[in-house]
Amino acid sequence: MTGPVLSIRDLTIDYVIGAGRFRAVSGVSFDVAPGRVMGIVGETGCGKSTLAQAIPRLLPEPPATIGGGSIEFNGVDLVKVPQWKMPRIRGTGISMIFQEPLNSLNPAFRIYDQLAEAVRIRQARDAGHTVLDRREAPPFDYTRRPKPEVGDALVRPLVPGGATAKAARRSLSGRRELREDVLEYLRLVRINDPETILDLYPHELSGGMRQRVMIAMALSERPALLIADEPTSALDVTIQAQVLTLMKDLIEEVDTSILFISHDLGVIAETADELGVMYAGKLVELGPVDEIFGSPRHPYTKALLRAAPTRYKSDGPLLSIPGSVPNLAKPPAGCRFHPRCPIAKDVCRAEPAPPLDLVAGTASHRSACHFAAEVPQLV
Amino acid sequence: MSAPSSTGPSAGALAVRQVRRAGRAVHTLTRVLRANPLTLVGFVLVVVIAVTAVLVLVAPHLLTPYAPDQGTTDYTQGPSWNHPLGTDGNGIDIYAEALYALPLDLALAFAIAGVAMLGGGALGLVAGYWDRPGTLGGALSVVVMRVTDIFLAFPSLILALAIAVSLGRGVVQLVVAILVTWWPYYVRLVRGETLAVKHLPYVTAAKAAGVTDRRIVLRHILRNVLEPVVVYFSLDIGTVLVTLSTIGFVGLGLNYPTTAEWGSMISYYQVAGFITAYPWTVLGPGAAIFVTVLAFSLLGDGLRDVLDPRSRRVLAGSGGPDSTSPASVDPTPSPSAGPLPGEGLPAAAPGGMT
Repeated sequence: MTGPVLSIRDLTIDYVIGAGRFRAVSGVSFDVAPGRVMGIVGETGCGKSTLAQAIPRLLPEPPATIGGGSIEFNGVDLVKVPQWKMPRIRGTGISMIFQEPLNSLNPAFRIYDQLAEAVRIRQARDAGHTVLDRREAPPFDYTRRPKPEVGDALVRPLVPGGATAKAARRSLSGRRELREDVLEYLRLVRINDPETILDLYPHELSGGMRQRVMIAMALSERPALLIADEPTSALDVTIQAQVLTLMKDLIEEVDTSILFISHDLGVIAETADELGVMYAGKLVELGPVDEIFGSPRHPYTKALLRAAPTRYKSDGPLLSIPGSVPNLAKPPAGCRFHPRCPIAKDVCRAEPAPPLDLVAGTASHRSACHFAAEVPQLV
Repeated sequence: MSAPSSTGPSAGALAVRQVRRAGRAVHTLTRVLRANPLTLVGFVLVVVIAVTAVLVLVAPHLLTPYAPDQGTTDYTQGPSWNHPLGTDGNGIDIYAEALYALPLDLALAFAIAGVAMLGGGALGLVAGYWDRPGTLGGALSVVVMRVTDIFLAFPSLILALAIAVSLGRGVVQLVVAILVTWWPYYVRLVRGETLAVKHLPYVTAAKAAGVTDRRIVLRHILRNVLEPVVVYFSLDIGTVLVTLSTIGFVGLGLNYPTTAEWGSMISYYQVAGFITAYPWTVLGPGAAIFVTVLAFSLLGDGLRDVLDPRSRRVLAGSGGPDSTSPASVDPTPSPSAGPLPGEGLPAAAPGGMT
């Protein structure tokens, strides 16, 4: 594997609602390396979910418009791909887990039908480009599966032809094998008694179970990139913990690149390799998780860390960040964080924040603050 | 993952599961029907009507000794044992005539409502899903909706009457006249439902899984739009019947006594002045219309419950360990896999999720 799986450059996304124009994401750039977990954190309203949904082009356009920049997935710029081709990339290329497990499963279909649909899509696409006989293949071994292929998501025919494909399609019609394939993924997400679950409707499952099914569905396509958009925020705390534990285990087991969106720093700290901090549509800090948690170089990150009840902060009161995220239709002049920043100076009010820049003395830790060097001294 | 994947279900187990599933479906149907007596009435009536219609076509002598349009010497007799609904001035048995009209009336109602549902529904589905302005679909959607609006702006009965007048009498003409005014309602209904469904998270989730637009429309959206459409269709059968009868009643429908049709029958006897002297000649076909419309309306209301998997399970009762207890399996992995009722988290009741 060479180069990142996902490479976003200067991505700008606007929502045009009536006469208003909300810049939800402005000039965001980052890479996700193969097999790595990239975390994105930020308050509600910072553009995290917009960013997540824009990558597989799932944003309703309009009202959303991609104003500029590029989303390169395996060398293909998704911004330029026409919408009708996107289904070839979604699923087996980029798969997604959503915030609302309660509504993300079609209420009219049994769990089996929904999972089988995903497995069928993967099998059909596999049949197009690999010699694949599922009978001979080992039942299920994520660790030994081939790394994601580069750039073939677009080239793969949607309905592949040829002798291999025909054989594979015949095996698709083998319901038992399909059922076995589906069951494997339900077992992967630690569902007890998957046989029974298969015949149930989504409303008969609890929220946690449904999110497990969603995860199984996303993984069953063996995506090159998995986007998890706050997969736990709609669940209650105990279920959250269970699903998180599962996610952590799966991240170890499943050899795939993951973009993990969350507002929960504790979650990110335990799962991600790299971290991007978003504020008001911009990335304000980017770097390895340990470095950012160890020595944040942006006052917003620092404030976030102090506001979170994690093991990184065990004594003293939890400090909240005064104020709230600015209205993105009229972002404040200068640095977008300056109205809430404890170390804001005149330059912050007058000039926009500097672009993400390497912090002196680090290899890949970047911050978008005039006073990145002073942040560690901040109390 | 050392899951025991080798112990897959055998073909026999699959067959058993399917039989059990079919059995459960029948069981559910009976439960739903029992829970809602009016639905049961509607269901039974529809079954009786359907069986009668088939019998009229196959073996009419089982139901009545008289052939269609067969005169007797019992002129203008009231209801009696020989003539349950009386006879008209030519001694024609009203009960027999109303029976012979049943298959035609039903077929007309189903044909009109069915074609309107399929045609209008397809248009509504397309117009609802591909409605992004500036695309081909968006343009098509605008055209379809404006044409629909134009048709809906006319009073449909007047329009149907006007078309019936200009086309002349006949079965095909009657169907065309009503169809022209009928499809826009289905466009509206299906488009509205499609618009509501297509932004739901599960449609986005299906998209994210790589499902193509065509498949999303034909599978995910169609299935979730189907329920109100089928309910509307069932109620619509009654409305079409009433419209048919109205057109017949004003004398623009089929030509009774050549072709027996309820509306035309009423019209014929009313014009002949029988309505006061021999009211049973009008009451017979009138009752037929009433019962048929009522049956489909009652069934339509009940169908809503049968089609929605959520209310289906609720109606089917909270009991039945095979229907609810699996959801109560503790989500954490534990060595014991058996779903014991009452173990672990309670099953998620509709509306009250964790």
